[in-house]
Amino acid sequence: MKDLLASLAGWGVNVAIALTALRTNLMRSILTTLGVMIGVFSVILAVAVGNGAQVSVSQQIATLGSNMAIVVPQPDSGSGPPRSTDRGRLTERDGDAILREVSGVSAVAPQIRSSVQIVTPGRSATTQATGATPAYGAVSNVTASEGRFLSQSDVGSAARVAVIGETVANKLFPDTSPVGETIRINRVPFTVIGLLESKGSNLGNDNDDQIVVPITTLRQRLLTTATQGPDDVTLIFVGFEDEDSLLTGQKEIERLLRDRYRVAKGKINPFTVRTTTEIAETTGEVTQIFQAVLVAIASISLLVGGIGIMNIMLVSVTERTREIGLRMALGAKRSDIRNQFLVEAAVLCVIGGAIGLSLAILAASIFERLAEFPAPIGLDTAIMAVAFSAIIGLVFGGYPAIRASRLSPIEALRSE
Amino acid sequence: MTTPLLETHNLVKDYAIGGETVHAVNNVSLSISRGEFVAIMGASGSGKSTFMNMIGCLDIPTSGTLLLDGIDTKSLDSDALAEIRNRKIGFVFQQFNLLARTSALDNVAVPLIYAGIGYAERRARAQDKLEAMGLANRLQNTPAKLSGGQQQRVAIARALVTDPLMLLADEPTGALDTQTSLDIMGIFQKLNDDGITVVLVTHEPDIAEYAARRIVFRDGQVIEDAAVKSRRRASVA
Repeated sequence: MKDLLASLAGWGVNVAIALTALRTNLMRSILTTLGVMIGVFSVILAVAVGNGAQVSVSQQIATLGSNMAIVVPQPDSGSGPPRSTDRGRLTERDGDAILREVSGVSAVAPQIRSSVQIVTPGRSATTQATGATPAYGAVSNVTASEGRFLSQSDVGSAARVAVIGETVANKLFPDTSPVGETIRINRVPFTVIGLLESKGSNLGNDNDDQIVVPITTLRQRLLTTATQGPDDVTLIFVGFEDEDSLLTGQKEIERLLRDRYRVAKGKINPFTVRTTTEIAETTGEVTQIFQAVLVAIASISLLVGGIGIMNIMLVSVTERTREIGLRMALGAKRSDIRNQFLVEAAVLCVIGGAIGLSLAILAASIFERLAEFPAPIGLDTAIMAVAFSAIIGLVFGGYPAIRASRLSPIEALRSE
Repeated sequence: MTTPLLETHNLVKDYAIGGETVHAVNNVSLSISRGEFVAIMGASGSGKSTFMNMIGCLDIPTSGTLLLDGIDTKSLDSDALAEIRNRKIGFVFQQFNLLARTSALDNVAVPLIYAGIGYAERRARAQDKLEAMGLANRLQNTPAKLSGGQQQRVAIARALVTDPLMLLADEPTGALDTQTSLDIMGIFQKLNDDGITVVLVTHEPDIAEYAARRIVFRDGQVIEDAAVKSRRRASVA
């Protein structure tokens, strides 16, 4: 205990010596600290932005709905880009077959997607229309926050009704509630029956910039290009009861569709089945790479900051060679000299790290407010920042400090 | 018979300069007892400073033996040498070598940091020594606000603060005017009277006359080692 106190007091003396030395060359100390500060700032901010991207992506995936498979009529080319030449087909009957024959399926939501132009007196908007069935609401967690969602009879009668997203509603009806109003979609009059519950935006993708209409209505009245068959769809969402049935169900869907389209053995599927789990994994990997690249770039500035520390410490050791010799003559051991310079480097780094961290927290909160992009800085990030600056101090201050401690007392005293 | 404070046997220090070996100190054997006041004299390049650096444990002999307070320094590592410098030797330099922008009190306390003494005791002991040097009202002054004589007295206080056995002074009056030099010599004589061993390196014959024994170096060897015949006394100002 007494030893510990004594050694703490010894470090305290070193901190006092370091502060005196740093004050002596105040401008130089500030500039050196600036390098570490910028480095820590950019690394922390990069980590925060990367974390934000991950949060954002998982939110985005959550808005898709969980335990869901997405079937699209695009050849499954594995990881490569889809080949549009042998574009496959997908029909509502395929969806019915999946619901009937694949186990664990809770709902099937066939959809047609098309870009549409909406006009009200004096205003207009271009958005994406999804032609869907009531099952779409259940499978992908879409509900109406005002009015109602599509019903089976809307689909059956190909009713000209639409449920619109918040962004579309704000564009067309900035002052009033859109429910009950009439809008013209591609010149066809529709009645707004509901407002989609807001899902916000992720990574610049506005989830509220869309409308939902009955799949029958969209096919009959809004499609500008003819489809191959009378019940072709753009994609099918397949909802599963749980994660296990999703895993087995993905294979079952593929087998069923290969059968239905008589795909010869060895030929690739003319359709692709992706699960939300897979999508989450792939996008998770992508954002991790994104974060790693960001942090790597930011680390370069931290490295430069560290080199700045080393540079200044070497200058400081050279300038103070005589002082080092004097201290040795007065009884300083090599370790005393080494610690003195290590502490000086560490003080520079810790001050830089603390300011860098504060600035990063400030910047992240500004960023969050302006760009509506989460950039969370957690306790772990803060601890990492402190550890980073300390490591920089030790690594880049270490060499000059050891060099100082290896000086011969008499050579050092005689210098200048 | 007590062991001498300092004993050297065939002490040699070689320097390699331009491929040639120069014997800065060549086979010096002598001993200094406790309580002596020794002046080491010689022209520049005579080896007197090299000799003093070795007995101060600042420089390591090429060969020969150096016994300090009975300890053979050859077997000691750099930490042990640092401890000897800290505990047994007090250095006084020509250029005072005080830390700039640091108060007299903190300057005097520096050796106590390396002795592992706590803050409060460091200050108390440093203050004692400064008061003994007549600098009670200069404790917080930085070297820039002190005269040369005052700075050298701060340096002497610093040399004394660990209560060493021996003071090693390298041209302590070299940067001072005549009157101040006399004052400093008076301080050394008084400290010597109180029992501390003083070893003084100088090239000025009159300064050497304040010592009790004179050792003269030439070409790395001792050419004269005798008691000072008509020793001068300086009164403490």
